[in-house]
Amino acid sequence: MIQLFNVVKKYGSGSPALDDVSLKIEKGEFVFLTGPSGAGKTTILKVLFGWENFEEGQVLVQGINVGKLDAGNMHTLRRSIGVIFQDYKLLKNKTVFENVAFAQEVTNRDRKTIKFKTWEALKNVGLTPKKDSLPAHLSGGEQQRVAIARAMVNAPPIILADEPTGNLDQEISLEILKLF
Amino acid sequence: MNSAFQALLIGFQATIANVRANMQTFLISIATISISIGILGIFLIIFFNLNGFLVSWNQQVQLIVYLNDDISPAQKNNLEALFKDSSRVQSTEEVTKDRAWKDFRLSQAEKSGMEFDLGFNPLPASYKVRFKLSDNRLTHISEFAEKIQSETGVESVEYGKNWISRFEKFMVFCRVFLMATGALLSFGLILIISNTIRLSIYSRQDEIELMLLIGATPGFVKIPFLLEGMLQGLCGSILSLGLMGVIYYYLKSEFQVSIESIARGMDFQFISQPFLLSLVGLSVLIGLVASYISTYHYMQVLNKR
Ligand SMILES: Nc1ncnc2c1ncn2[C@@H]1O[C@H](COP(=O)(O)OP(=O)(O)OP(=O)(O)O)[C@@H](O)[C@H]1O
Ligand SMILES: [Mg+2]
Repeated sequence: MIQLFNVVKKYGSGSPALDDVSLKIEKGEFVFLTGPSGAGKTTILKVLFGWENFEEGQVLVQGINVGKLDAGNMHTLRRSIGVIFQDYKLLKNKTVFENVAFAQEVTNRDRKTIKFKTWEALKNVGLTPKKDSLPAHLSGGEQQRVAIARAMVNAPPIILADEPTGNLDQEISLEILKLF
Repeated sequence: MNSAFQALLIGFQATIANVRANMQTFLISIATISISIGILGIFLIIFFNLNGFLVSWNQQVQLIVYLNDDISPAQKNNLEALFKDSSRVQSTEEVTKDRAWKDFRLSQAEKSGMEFDLGFNPLPASYKVRFKLSDNRLTHISEFAEKIQSETGVESVEYGKNWISRFEKFMVFCRVFLMATGALLSFGLILIISNTIRLSIYSRQDEIELMLLIGATPGFVKIPFLLEGMLQGLCGSILSLGLMGVIYYYLKSEFQVSIESIARGMDFQFISQPFLLSLVGLSVLIGLVASYISTYHYMQVLNKR
């Protein structure tokens, strides 16, 4: 399902962020990627959903050769991946509900389905009471749960979570991990 | 609901949000478009009215065939038969030597108040030939004039040829001038609108980035900005043409009487409807092209990471 073959990624001219990385993840696997800050965890994820190029090696996701994908077809790859970004990337002028609905508008679902699925996703992360709040008025954990709801709402076959509990205390961390 | 239509609707909502967020640049852009379209419109009005003048003037053109003094009745009959046989001739009027001289003296007397008498009549007899209205009336007249010229008994023919061809050349020049101005203004507008759209894009960079990250097609991302460019073109041109229309009707109601006294039968015209629509269409097209350039450029930059 996800395969990396000897991937090398350099930012600029310095030492590579990814140096000869190979890995294989099968369907249904739940994999943790750990390492110190700056080790290249985020970089691997970015390579997987085609946000960063890489200099050498091959990346296969869902049978798609990521390195060969042009900009016009990138959405086919990204629609099969739900990403929870390290900085959440919530739109600050949209409410919680709108943020989650937005991920579906982008993929051109019809309105009724969007409403229904958004409700469902917010219920799963326990955020229905906050559906009309703006992200700025949410706690860190709540923001993270919005990001999770958004990543899962389209039910993609792959979920990439970049430090889903990174900034949170243990109690909330456990609560969030239960969501996966 | 049709999904393409829904994408457009979502795009349009985003467009409205863009416009709200960048109201000032939007208004400045619209004002610039209005002024440019206004300049083009004024030139068009001038052009139309000159053209209308030419057309009404053309219709008054007639051929005058001057006759030799010693023309025989048979030759005259021959000429009259030629006039009658031509399908393009509407009517003919014979002006005898005496009539011509009398008319001339009358008009001179009116002008200078003096009686005029040479003791002999220097003016030739003539035919005034009027032609039916048709598309290539002037060419028909000049063809016919050439034919008549070579008949015996005809001294000369006259129909204001030089004046007409000069005027027509001027109208060709006007047309070229209009097109050049239009092209130049369009080019300027493209630069200005694409710049506003670029600002609009930058103000929504985060959202665009997110859209692409969660699987939006490039087209979906571009739609709001393309619509914004087209909206600018539409608003700018309608504003400008609407304003010009109001000014036109005001001027017309105030001055139509005096215009008519200067040039009889002439109507002070506005831009004709097809041209109005083309101006709006042109403006919308310019908006589309300009915003396309901006979005294309931005996407190129994004993809180069
Ligand atoms: N856009 C970028 N431009 C230049 N260098 C970058 C960029 N992004 C990351 N890097 C560098 O690449 C290396 C790996 O970064 P990455 O973000 O993948 O680390 P990480 O493992 O996710 O760290 P953290 O746990 O702090 O999030 C770092 O040395 C970082 O400085
Ligand atoms: Mg990271």
